[in-house]
Amino acid sequence: MLKMSNISKIFRTRLIETHALRSFNLTVNDGEFIAVTGPSGSGKTTFLNIAGLLEDFDTGQYMLDGEDISGLPDKSRSKLRNEKIGFIFQSFNLIPDLNIFDNVDVPLRYRDMGAGERKDRIESALENVGLSSRAKHLPAELSGGQQQRVAIARALAGSPRFLLADEPTGNLDSLMARQVMELLESINDQGVTIIMVTHDPELARRAHRNIYLLDGQISDLEEVTQLPLNQNQSQSQRADHAAI
Amino acid sequence: MEIRPILSAMFRNKLGAILIATQIAVTLAIICNGAFIVYKRYQTMNRPTGMDIENIFAITSEGIGSNHNARAVAAQDLEVIRAIPGVIAASNASSVPLSGSGWGETMQTTLDDNAPTTGTGVYMMSDQAIETLGVNLISGRNFTPDEMLYRDENSGQIPNVIMITQALSDQLFPDENETALGKTVFFDSRPIEVIGIIEHMHGSWVTWDALAQVSIIPVLTLSNQTRYMIRTEPGMRDQVMPQVEEALANVNSQRILRQLRSLEEFAARSYAGDNTIAVVMMTVIVLLVIITAMGIIGLVSFLVNQRTKQIGTRRALGAQKFHVIRYFLVENWLITTIGLSVGLVLTILLNMYLVEHFEMPRLDRIYLPIGLVAIWCLGFIAALGPARKAAHVSPAIATRTV
Ligand SMILES: Nc1ncnc2c1ncn2[C@@H]1O[C@H](COP(=O)(O)OP(=O)(O)OP(=O)(O)O)[C@@H](O)[C@H]1O
Ligand SMILES: [Mg+2]
Repeated sequence: MLKMSNISKIFRTRLIETHALRSFNLTVNDGEFIAVTGPSGSGKTTFLNIAGLLEDFDTGQYMLDGEDISGLPDKSRSKLRNEKIGFIFQSFNLIPDLNIFDNVDVPLRYRDMGAGERKDRIESALENVGLSSRAKHLPAELSGGQQQRVAIARALAGSPRFLLADEPTGNLDSLMARQVMELLESINDQGVTIIMVTHDPELARRAHRNIYLLDGQISDLEEVTQLPLNQNQSQSQRADHAAI
Repeated sequence: MEIRPILSAMFRNKLGAILIATQIAVTLAIICNGAFIVYKRYQTMNRPTGMDIENIFAITSEGIGSNHNARAVAAQDLEVIRAIPGVIAASNASSVPLSGSGWGETMQTTLDDNAPTTGTGVYMMSDQAIETLGVNLISGRNFTPDEMLYRDENSGQIPNVIMITQALSDQLFPDENETALGKTVFFDSRPIEVIGIIEHMHGSWVTWDALAQVSIIPVLTLSNQTRYMIRTEPGMRDQVMPQVEEALANVNSQRILRQLRSLEEFAARSYAGDNTIAVVMMTVIVLLVIITAMGIIGLVSFLVNQRTKQIGTRRALGAQKFHVIRYFLVENWLITTIGLSVGLVLTILLNMYLVEHFEMPRLDRIYLPIGLVAIWCLGFIAALGPARKAAHVSPAIATRTV
């Protein structure tokens, strides 16, 4: 469902150029649950932003559901984000002035959807994450784990095929993190493709596939075994990773 | 539309919204009443005077010395003036209409002690009065030269005939079918025959409610001071004015010539107060509009900056640029509309206050919808810039900021 070939992304400031992604290649199949790990600054968020159409890339090709993304106008990209992709952020990104119900409503408002259908979807999404009773609360009145579950409900309310999460458990303690992870797994079981960036090796192990990013490129163990030349280097990186 | 969630977000950050709504309310009240005041003043200043105001001027001649034959001097002066090319007509004039100084008299239709009296502004002029003023004689006739009365300064003598304006005729004879023409009326309690009706003419005192009740009598008062009014061909006035001054000086140097002034200038001086009020009011309105626009720009910019992450998140969740712009425009429209509804009440209260304490007329209702629409547009235009800036917030902000 997602195919990136030779994607590169360079951030230019006046003083330096940062190659956040270099000749990045990745294919993700329908229904996969992928965990992305890697040291800070290795390009995980950049990858996720490009995958989620939040950011442009400089070169390469990105096919989403068979559609070539490059050159799409902003309006079509917004529609794709709205209809196909759900986002979960490390700091939840709930809108503090809106109650839980209205927060989940936000992405639905950008569709031509009647009030009745929106209400049904919001209620069932909140039920899904076990927060139906909190619909009228403000985000600040909820714990971190609860807020992240609201964010998941918000991401799911639009029935995306594709869920992108940037360190969804980064701001949560381990108990809450595990609850969120279980929720993501059950969502994945329902057929939603998930890509999750995480620093937590234990959570990463529970995914179907792990991608290790280093310096803007994937250094995947399977790929590495096919390329004996790089084997030693990659294995040491793998060891680094396990130690994080 | 997302009005309910916008409102609930607004009510959680009330202060800025309340300040701007208050400012908008005050702005509406002041610009509606201010614009009304300006309009009323200009309406007053631009009332038709009945005269050919653009092509008339006056000059005063003051003879030096005692053996001064005023009648001969005036006759000679008028002859000289009338000979200047571009002059249509010229006449002596006891005072200048619209100038703020003149002679007022009372008129009655009978000498009965209980008979109502009517005020009139009186101009002593010559048989060229009608042509000189450029007024329209709608019935009756003009003076003839032999009807002229030459009288001494201190004599109370009055002539036999008078021309009056329609407004004065209507005041004297309120009955619709009756006219003053041909009737003998009492002028300062003495009989005089109305021989002509002038369609319309303004007198000297622009704030007097009987401004249009004017009468003209064929008189030259013999004193060493004579005033002349001169009417020129259209567009020739400014050229002729110095020529008249020069010609009068040449024909007789035993005098001082002063107050060479156009009728428009006399009028402008009389209306100077109205003009000042109008200009001050317009300045206040313009400043207020600018300040309100800046207030709106400031508030919307502040809200946009404060919500950068929220905007990025909305974009990430699928908001198109136009959704973001619409959000801020609708929010601002709601604030403006709340301000305007308070402003409507304030506008009416302010008008009631002005009516009571400053003799202002009641505000024409049309000012309210015009004011509303104007401020709606102002709010829309002011908010558009910051709202478009909001649309440029990158969706990547959602993952990049903590
Ligand atoms: N807007 C930007 N301008 C300039 N450089 C940027 C920008 N965003 C990211 N970078 C740089 O791109 C590189 C990759 O950043 P990215 O955020 O993708 O890393 P990451 O793997 O998500 O790191 P972390 O684990 O700390 O979140 C980094 O060197 C970062 O400094
Ligand atoms: Mg990151």
